[in-house]
Amino acid sequence: MTTSNMKLLCTVLGKMRIDNIITRSHFSHPRFRPPYWYLPKERVMSDELLTQENKDFLEEVKQDKLIHQSALVSPLANNEPQELVQWNPFTRRVGLIARKIGNYPMWSKDGKKFQTTLLQVVDNHVIKYIPPEEFKPMKSSKVVWKEKRKLGCLLIGSETIDPSTVTKEYCGLFNSVGMLPKKHLCRFMISPHAALPTGTPLFATHFRVGDHVDIRAKTMDRGFQGVMKRWGFKGMPASHGVTKTHRRPGNIGAGGEKARVWPGTKMPGHMGNRWRTLRGVKILRINTKHNILWTLGVAIPGETGAMCYLFDTVLPLKKLNTPPPFPTHPPVEDLPIEYHDESIHLFDEPTITFEES
Amino acid sequence: MSIVIRKSTIDILCAAKWIARRDCRALSSVPEKVDIGEEVKEKVPGHKPRAHNPLLEYRHVYPEFLPDPNPKWRNSLREKMERADMLKRRSQIDIPEFYVGSIVAVTISDPHAQGKTNRFVGICIDRKGSGLRAEFILRNVIDHQGVEVRYELYDPTIQLIQVLRLEKRLDDKLYYLRDALPEYCTFPLDMDPEILPEGTPVPLNPVQVKLKPRPWLERWERQELKGVSNIEEHLKEKDRVRRELRKTPWEKYDLMKQYRKTIPAEDQSEIWNEVYNQLQQMRVSRKKMSRKRTFATPKTQLA
Repeated sequence: MTTSNMKLLCTVLGKMRIDNIITRSHFSHPRFRPPYWYLPKERVMSDELLTQENKDFLEEVKQDKLIHQSALVSPLANNEPQELVQWNPFTRRVGLIARKIGNYPMWSKDGKKFQTTLLQVVDNHVIKYIPPEEFKPMKSSKVVWKEKRKLGCLLIGSETIDPSTVTKEYCGLFNSVGMLPKKHLCRFMISPHAALPTGTPLFATHFRVGDHVDIRAKTMDRGFQGVMKRWGFKGMPASHGVTKTHRRPGNIGAGGEKARVWPGTKMPGHMGNRWRTLRGVKILRINTKHNILWTLGVAIPGETGAMCYLFDTVLPLKKLNTPPPFPTHPPVEDLPIEYHDESIHLFDEPTITFEES
Repeated sequence: MSIVIRKSTIDILCAAKWIARRDCRALSSVPEKVDIGEEVKEKVPGHKPRAHNPLLEYRHVYPEFLPDPNPKWRNSLREKMERADMLKRRSQIDIPEFYVGSIVAVTISDPHAQGKTNRFVGICIDRKGSGLRAEFILRNVIDHQGVEVRYELYDPTIQLIQVLRLEKRLDDKLYYLRDALPEYCTFPLDMDPEILPEGTPVPLNPVQVKLKPRPWLERWERQELKGVSNIEEHLKEKDRVRRELRKTPWEKYDLMKQYRKTIPAEDQSEIWNEVYNQLQQMRVSRKKMSRKRTFATPKTQLA
């Protein structure tokens, strides 16, 4: 019995060949796959050949829907005592979608001038919450050994648009939860107890004055640029026998053993139009009427009118210490129009004078 | 965009007419300043004066209320917030009407100065920036040393802006004073304010300065300056040839360039409607407080 088994094993092993192993040196996985909640938005506009009556009717329907939407009451307003879980430093809150509307200077109490960037929070609403069990993000080729913290996914939309300007599929995403389609849609990964019901409006008061935020936005598209603009190279002299190499990079590698261009060498190429996050930006002033945030500095990516996403900062020294409005600031009627940081000088305060010491 | 058709008995050259019409159309500070000389000449023969929107006259008195015309930086809400902040600051301090060429005294709180305040007197050689970033540059010669100080108009450390002599010069920018003889921008620090009678138009000082010999900071000969008298005597033949080559006579007919540099009249009237009432109120209340202006003859024509 044992010998026959051994014979069988030997024949099987003998048949095996190791000379035809197929190896793939390079495996290309898809770089980007849109998340499953994302549906194509852009629509080819066509002339529908509608009669004037039909057009009027459609307009009426649109207006009705808009009025209905604007009359929606925030779900947070009526059921107040549901705050069972409190905020803790490990909680991740939802963020905001804002529009960068410009810069202007302000002065501090000691007469120093600084630049601020104005971010307007336009018409933000919660669209949908996907709990962590149902949320299946994109598959990536990396093997994740560590069990990750389970986070839910909250979709936030900003700026209501005309439903006839976007595709049916994109409209369906909003229709299924009873909202009108939004121009911008963003995903925020949040702790499950920070979830918000559909239709909750978000305001600039979601953040407080003095808090620090991370701002993610697309940088300005500068197109194909040379090394001087893209990497800040010095270029070469304008004269002293230099010919045709005033803005060129010069040498890009050594010879000998390293007779090749090393990966990551700074070279000309496309510059800008990338997602970048600026971390730890301080909020100096909040206008509750127009939902504007004044943030310190001008380094927020993107041009005027670009959209950006605001999150609570992850920087350890600038993280939230005291509980912020959680899960968000409820809509309150009698808020002061403006909140200010203590350090800034208000324009309606008297002129700064210094005391003799 | 209103096109004013003038009924004139005398034939004006077609080109001149066209320039005048375009100037009216753009209705902003830039073209008006460019063609100011021509306009004065045209008005003399007794034409019917133009029916101006009185609100639009504010663009000369408060130029910084007009936003930067670059469409990349425009946003109506930001401009509105900025104007609100400007008015708030103006409720605290009187920012008077002054122009490039006026002599201004500025008192500013300075933590490092003795007595914690600093006062500087000088001629305004440039005004630029819009909104809260508006600024102006004052120049004076102190102890035979030229000094220029740049002030922010809405800086909260400015305690007082006092106009010592309200007048305009022949040019929009007076940077050529840096290369002029020092007596043209020497002003005593204890100068008394010269008060104009109520309702007089802002006088134009037609003084022409003398430049020092070369080297200069800029190529003044290429800038078509009206306020410089002796520019030709410092030029060589080479400079004259190059000046001719570098001339851009077509630029004054470039309507799009003018349009891009200016804020359209509709936008302007919107802005002035918004701020008019408050500015007017502040003006009236300040006028009540201050003493009435009395006439004083200008002492010297020089500078």
